[in-house]
Amino acid sequence: MIKKGFGWLYTGIIFIFLYAPIAVLMLMSFNKSQYNSLPFQFSTRWYKDLANDQTLIDASLTSIYIAAVTAIFCVILATMLMLWIVQTKSKWKKWIDSLVILPLTIPWLILGLALLLLLNFLKLDKNYFVLLIGHIIVSLPYTVMVIKARLQSLDLTINEASASLGANEWTTFRKITLPLLFPAMLAGGFLAFVISFDNFILSYFLIPSGHSTLPIEIYSSIKFGFTPVINAVSTIILAGTTIVILFIIMVMKASLKYLFK
Amino acid sequence: MNKKFWLVSPPVLLLIAFCVIPLFIMVYFSFLSDGADPHLTLSNYLDFFQKGFYLKLTWKTISTSLIVTIICILIGYPMAYIMAKVINSGKTIILIAIIIPFWTSQLVRAYSWQNLLRDGGILEMILRKFHLIGSEPLGILFTQTAVIIALVHIFFPYMVITIYMSLEKMDHSIIEASKSLNAGPFTTFWRIILPLSKPGIISGSILVFVPSLGVFVEPRILGGTKGSVIGTVIEDQFFEIYGWNFGAAIAFILLMIVLISIAILSKFAKEEV
Repeated sequence: MIKKGFGWLYTGIIFIFLYAPIAVLMLMSFNKSQYNSLPFQFSTRWYKDLANDQTLIDASLTSIYIAAVTAIFCVILATMLMLWIVQTKSKWKKWIDSLVILPLTIPWLILGLALLLLLNFLKLDKNYFVLLIGHIIVSLPYTVMVIKARLQSLDLTINEASASLGANEWTTFRKITLPLLFPAMLAGGFLAFVISFDNFILSYFLIPSGHSTLPIEIYSSIKFGFTPVINAVSTIILAGTTIVILFIIMVMKASLKYLFK
Repeated sequence: MNKKFWLVSPPVLLLIAFCVIPLFIMVYFSFLSDGADPHLTLSNYLDFFQKGFYLKLTWKTISTSLIVTIICILIGYPMAYIMAKVINSGKTIILIAIIIPFWTSQLVRAYSWQNLLRDGGILEMILRKFHLIGSEPLGILFTQTAVIIALVHIFFPYMVITIYMSLEKMDHSIIEASKSLNAGPFTTFWRIILPLSKPGIISGSILVFVPSLGVFVEPRILGGTKGSVIGTVIEDQFFEIYGWNFGAAIAFILLMIVLISIAILSKFAKEEV
């Protein structure tokens, strides 16, 4: 059928647009030339350079540490929030819903500088505490979204059944709700991890001087003349996040259709 | 008062203390004068509105976001339509393949266009091979065009997904009914399908237009000196010039533009749906 053929052709063009820059970047990370020039000569030289680049390794470790803490807090906070939201009849529910979405509406640039001004207002130096809070605030809406999708796909009368059989609330949570929610908590946590790991803007504004995260290092390398090592580290980031995202999608398969509601 | 308030109060207090209150503090700083003895003043805002440079910049930011949004609708709509109505198999895989780059680092994806677009880069070589350009350099990198290309690349999955959702929800029998009443495919599309997918287009537009207003990384990396927008000027105020109070004022103006755009677009969505 012509219509279908055309449909696939268009899909193909869109995918070239989506993936060509990424593919070129990955290819260039294996190119020997310092200036990304062609013809292509295979080399793993930039990955070896990367392995010896202590600044980039330290920055990556900082990023991983921040992302891990962010993910744990996002899961706990999002679960608390969602457990409340599904069972509440409070008139505050609408307000709280919009409050949680707020960090999605405000450009991260503004959030970052507002937190920086908060520190200035309190006469405090930049510190990891506020940096982490910034990361938690911008990642939380995504974790909430994932956990909410899962909760909407669940039959919550099962909780009432448990209660009617004499289980107290804590037992019901531990034995029924938690196991059912666990995949979404895991997926939401990984999502928060990815968002925090990739987050450049909040870190850029709030990182204590003398420290840096991987995205900050990448940004300054790009700004002050590019180096192929950045191609290599970007390739690793892209491959890593893709694996994590695929994992999240697999875990969330059943409730995926609730994700955009 | 709900008896489980302890569940909701930690996240809510966190958001109020570190998201809402800082915004008010930002507004406070935007009314402060510089110097050793700061006092309340309107001068930051007067500076902004009296200098043609900043007004032009504001317009440039808004128009860039508008162009990005329109391009996203134009190329995203057919993609969503194909997924919802034309092909039957492989939908999930296409959807996943569209979402994945969207979750990968925005910084890395902006940077990835540098390799492709720069003079003497891959795109130039390909175009020259097919004799689409002569021997002159491509001249796209470090222009507004490069910024627009990267922003479309970053935000258009939003548009595809929201339009796809609205098309998918559509009752197919309406389209059949339109056909049985002898409406041609164009009429059916224009009178039935497009109006019914309007909510998807509008929520997609919010998700593309609003974040485009606040970018500064893409203009910085791909726009060069021609790429300045409100975001890059705010960055300059905080990291180069140290005019924090003026930066806060610009940020507040940007925030107002964001909120007004959301209000206008949401109003569109409520009309005659």
